[in-house]
Amino acid sequence: MELLLQTLLNGVLAAGVYALVASGLALAVGVVGIVNFAHGEFLMIGAFVSYLLFAARGIDPLVSLGVAAVAVFLVGAISYYGLIRPVLSAPELNQMLLTFGLSVLLQNLALLLFGADTRVVSPPYQGATLSLGGLSFGVVPFAAFGLSLLILLGLYWFLGRTRLGFAVRAVAQNRLAPGLLGIETQQVYLLAFGLSAALAGIAGVMLSVMLYASPTVGFAYTLKAFAIVVMAGLGNLRGVLWAALALAMAEALVSTYVPGGGGWVEAVFFLVIFAVLTWRSWRRT
Amino acid sequence: MRLVGLILGLVLVFPVFPLGRWQAFTLDTAQFAFIVTVLALSWDLLARTGQLSLAQGAFFGLGAYAAGLSAPALGTIGGLLLGAAVAALSSLLLGLATLRLQGIYFAIATLAFSEVMRTLVLKAEFTGGATGLPVAPAFGGSWVLGGYYLAAAVLVLGVLTSLWVGRSRLSYAQAAARQGEAVARVLGVAVVRVKLLSFLLSSALAGLAGGVYAMKTLFLSPYDAFGLGRAVEALVIPIFGGLYTTLGPLLGGLLLVALETWLRLEIKDGYLVVYGLILILAILFMPKGLVGLWRARGKTAKEDRNA
Repeated sequence: MELLLQTLLNGVLAAGVYALVASGLALAVGVVGIVNFAHGEFLMIGAFVSYLLFAARGIDPLVSLGVAAVAVFLVGAISYYGLIRPVLSAPELNQMLLTFGLSVLLQNLALLLFGADTRVVSPPYQGATLSLGGLSFGVVPFAAFGLSLLILLGLYWFLGRTRLGFAVRAVAQNRLAPGLLGIETQQVYLLAFGLSAALAGIAGVMLSVMLYASPTVGFAYTLKAFAIVVMAGLGNLRGVLWAALALAMAEALVSTYVPGGGGWVEAVFFLVIFAVLTWRSWRRT
Repeated sequence: MRLVGLILGLVLVFPVFPLGRWQAFTLDTAQFAFIVTVLALSWDLLARTGQLSLAQGAFFGLGAYAAGLSAPALGTIGGLLLGAAVAALSSLLLGLATLRLQGIYFAIATLAFSEVMRTLVLKAEFTGGATGLPVAPAFGGSWVLGGYYLAAAVLVLGVLTSLWVGRSRLSYAQAAARQGEAVARVLGVAVVRVKLLSFLLSSALAGLAGGVYAMKTLFLSPYDAFGLGRAVEALVIPIFGGLYTTLGPLLGGLLLVALETWLRLEIKDGYLVVYGLILILAILFMPKGLVGLWRARGKTAKEDRNA
């Protein structure tokens, strides 16, 4: 019973970061209409920003969160301006190939610059744990979970309560009408894509402490974010929360209860994708 | 078309060239180039329906492992055929689940599929796991040029398949499915069946290429055979050379593998940067590839059909 509770707790804590990464991807897919295979690489850049600041100046990851968010927002905005905008009206195949190319480019650029080693940001509180009624959990995952929730609440507030947020949602619903109503569609795309990248970058800072920074760290998160977005339905931002929770729970259960589960965890997201797609494709016909 | 014949002719007589001490190296590089070119041709077969496969590396790896494991019992040719069959069977399962949906879902599922296949091979016992799998050379290694001509034969097979599909009725169905699925359905094209058939052909060819690769390197590891690099090569080459053509992947494959071999001597990791860059630049500025540049000078009726 205690093991089960502990497992479920781990699952809930992991779900926060998953939801953060996947919400970013859902924004790119839902608003801009771009399937961004380089989403995980934005996360990787965030992780390296955190590592470099920590290694060079000993700057706390909490401070790096803000720096990384701004830096990765800019990277996303530049990517949108230089790469995504020219292919917005191109065939879907070209769009996907372009973001895949960006992913390959960024991943291997990082490999050239930093090598394949994994680097961990280890502030003094990294190993601290809290215990509550027999269950124990790390301070860092707990803080990351809380921060993720706060940021997601902020995102929902922005989309649901501000004029700019209304504009973003309007553009997501219809590509033509908002332009006629005087909304600058291009700027909304730019904002949405930058935000999408920034969310990944923030998650990257968290992962630099909980996991590590490495050129390939983002790739698995691209796939997991896709699994979550596909489960929620493309572009459905609220569904992302539940889907993230489901994926994280499934992974936690597999890693605890399946013998030799360490490696099989990496297959869970595929089963999720495969099952959801099979269900979707047979429901449609 | 004549250029394709010329290149294949050169491929067949290449070992006769007196290259002195460079011969072993160039033959080895050429063999690798043929294998990668077949992979590129196979990717293009599916791309003609407008679907993006990121699992070409996985079919390559499946073919390589199946051929490597079965060659001692079935012989060289038997092992290669089994490799192609295993790849085709797995593509059938993947395709049945995902090809009915929008292209986005298919691309995501293939990417996830290739990741999971690598995990499975890494975890399984009979594949040698992370240690790797030694493979016997083609035809027991008794014929020095056996490996070269095996790769050349598969290249010829890949080129012929690509040409044949390009001239068959299937090519019209593929173009219709790519350009407007709804219209194609109205016109009576069985879109899902066309996509599935293209996917089967494509993955079988990729599996075959993988088998030849296994018998060339003589040693397989999950990181190498299932690496993302293979999937990247498979799609950058046709885009660089020219999508939906036979000449494009052929020309692009030979050029880019030569470039890659040189880069690997200069820098070890991260040579894929160049592939990422070529991919982005080609999509932005040269969406019809080298062949498109060539043809821009004299537009033919055939190109209008293929466009």
